[in-house]
Amino acid sequence: MAVAGVLGVAACGGQIAANTPASNGNNFVSGNGTSSYFKAGSRLAAPAVSGSTLSGARLSLSSYRGKVVVINFWGSWCAPCRSEAPTLAVLSEQYQSKGVRFVGVDIRDSPASARAFVQNFGISYPSLNDPADEIALAFRHTVPPAAIPSTLVIDRNGQIAGRVIGQTSYSSLGNILAKVTAGG
Amino acid sequence: MTDVRSPQAGNGAAAPGVAEEPADVAEETIAGVADEIGTPRPGGFGAVAWARWAWRQLTSMRIALVLLFLLALGSVPGSLLPQQGIDPAGVQQYFTAHPALAPFLNALGLFNVFAAPWFAAIYLLLFVSLAGCVLPRSFRLARTARARPPQAPRHLSRLPNSVRYETAMTTEEASAAAAAFLTRRRFRLSQGEGWLSAEKGYRREAGNLLFHVALMGVLVSIGLGGLFGYKADRLLVEGTSFADTVTDLDAYHPGHLVSPNDLAPFSLTLDKFSASYVASGPDRNQPESFNAHVSYTAQPGDAARTYDIQVNHPLNVDAVKVYLLGHGYAPVFRVTDGQGKVVYDQATPFLPADQSTYLSEGVVKAPDAKPQQLGFAGVFLPTAVDVSGQLESAFPAPYLPAVSMIPYVGNLGLNNGVPQSVYQLNTTGMHRLATPVQVLTPGQSMKLPGGAGTLTFTGYRQWVSLQVTYDPGQVPALISGIAALAGLVLSFLVRRRRIFVRTYRGDSGRTVVDVAGLARSDVGGGFEAEFGELAAGLKSVHDHDSSPRSEETE
Repeated sequence: MAVAGVLGVAACGGQIAANTPASNGNNFVSGNGTSSYFKAGSRLAAPAVSGSTLSGARLSLSSYRGKVVVINFWGSWCAPCRSEAPTLAVLSEQYQSKGVRFVGVDIRDSPASARAFVQNFGISYPSLNDPADEIALAFRHTVPPAAIPSTLVIDRNGQIAGRVIGQTSYSSLGNILAKVTAGG
Repeated sequence: MTDVRSPQAGNGAAAPGVAEEPADVAEETIAGVADEIGTPRPGGFGAVAWARWAWRQLTSMRIALVLLFLLALGSVPGSLLPQQGIDPAGVQQYFTAHPALAPFLNALGLFNVFAAPWFAAIYLLLFVSLAGCVLPRSFRLARTARARPPQAPRHLSRLPNSVRYETAMTTEEASAAAAAFLTRRRFRLSQGEGWLSAEKGYRREAGNLLFHVALMGVLVSIGLGGLFGYKADRLLVEGTSFADTVTDLDAYHPGHLVSPNDLAPFSLTLDKFSASYVASGPDRNQPESFNAHVSYTAQPGDAARTYDIQVNHPLNVDAVKVYLLGHGYAPVFRVTDGQGKVVYDQATPFLPADQSTYLSEGVVKAPDAKPQQLGFAGVFLPTAVDVSGQLESAFPAPYLPAVSMIPYVGNLGLNNGVPQSVYQLNTTGMHRLATPVQVLTPGQSMKLPGGAGTLTFTGYRQWVSLQVTYDPGQVPALISGIAALAGLVLSFLVRRRRIFVRTYRGDSGRTVVDVAGLARSDVGGGFEAEFGELAAGLKSVHDHDSSPRSEETE
């Protein structure tokens, strides 16, 4: 039997090329994350996902209908996730007043580590606990997250307007949010 | 061709001299080797001539072998240098260690060899070369398999197997009787004025054609697997689940046309893993059996089913196979930081360092511990024994599980965004806490000096490493392989042989029948016997035909 080898790292870091659902997706590279913005009309509807949060509450994506939602797939063990966490914390507060809500999806993590992470980085938005990766699986027909971290932006109509694969930067996610909140 | 003469029947005249090979025999060599030997240089300077020359070169056996060699050579850097898809942390480390060389190697694509353009160029050229070699041959073989036998040579007595006898029949009757006789024996016929050619054994050509077409099938199947298949690894601890999505796989190697949406959406939970080992005798510590009891759903929302994955007994979900590759132990640790908060509580996979005792090594990282990040590196011993002060594992089964961990505080290096292995502790930004070596059994804790925190070994679980593979080319490749083998066997076993019959009026006024036979590529021998039998059969037909004799006019 072969030894497991050096596993557990490849899922972390955005090495996988972006896969845009429509050819008119406006691709631009920023930081080390590959980000895509999908124009209105070429967007796919986000699946209805729900689950329990790290604090034990029920959370359903449909309860955010009418708001712009940022979904960030993360894990406390993942180095790029730790690196982007302060940026996400800042952006979530800046865009709060513009009707943007952030939701985390905690992947391959233990509740203890995840709670310590959230507290450590001062993250105020809720995170869904997804031990079996069912939420990522629910996005497979639309714009699937392709690495950890991956970040999706869902517009006010519940359609996926953008994606960042790998570590987000203030400008990569900020650019998408500026367009989507402006109604683009 | 052999120079051996067949036994001459009756008064057949033995033709003297060496058997001359009829002109039509040499022209159709089986695999068209002839046109490779003397590839002509381009005659003029025309583009067409050059293109034709280049094509001939590309499809020659020599270039195919050179390309095959280059393909093997090209994969060497893939095993010498860390590869992006398999070991991204290794690539990062290489960049740090060789800042001048690494960007140069990266520009050459040497950190992702199998996706490099030059590698693709080699295998595409190889594919074109093989296709360009095999396809025209297949057409030629298809033509040959449908061809009619050629006209009978003029002097049949010069062929290696020949007989001559006289018959009371007319020439036409004799021809017709011979045709009827050979047709009954499933020969394919060509007939003309006073001559008859019969040929049998076209299955040889059919077999050869099958071999070549199947060879193309093998190539296409491999291409299919490379384009649409994927392979992924996942380490899974008992009681946990994973889904076949890119975010939830440890290593992911997609084919060129595979997008993350294409992965089969199954999810799988490892309920229990059990292994048994030989407890005594010369094979002590050797594994006897492994069994991973899993429950899985093929699609989200489907009912869960259970399965026992064993070595060489993979789980098959929608043509995706899940293999059991390895196993190990995952001790469960709880880390409480200096502020009294639980910052880590989970099963932590350790990698076996010794396959016979399953002494395993691993690390614990608590990046959110306060006031400083905590890290631990150490060993897990399934059956811990003290061998003269040295901690060892005596047996791979967990009879006396224990851990020994070395604590570190400082910066784990995780917050700068560079991915790192979960099995290694980067201690450059950390310092080791001075504690005596402690062996912890389940339930025991160790307090860190200076109130930095506590580590508790709460128990252990087992893990398995699974390989998820989808190869749509696998079944076609198997079928093509079997077909190629069948075609090859057919083309070796079946002999193509021709029987020629000429009927003419001899000097005595009686009808003379010349019968000659020719086996092409008579490797196994035995044609002489068959020819003797056929010639005797023909002779008896011509001797005992009861048809009424017609007037011999002519």
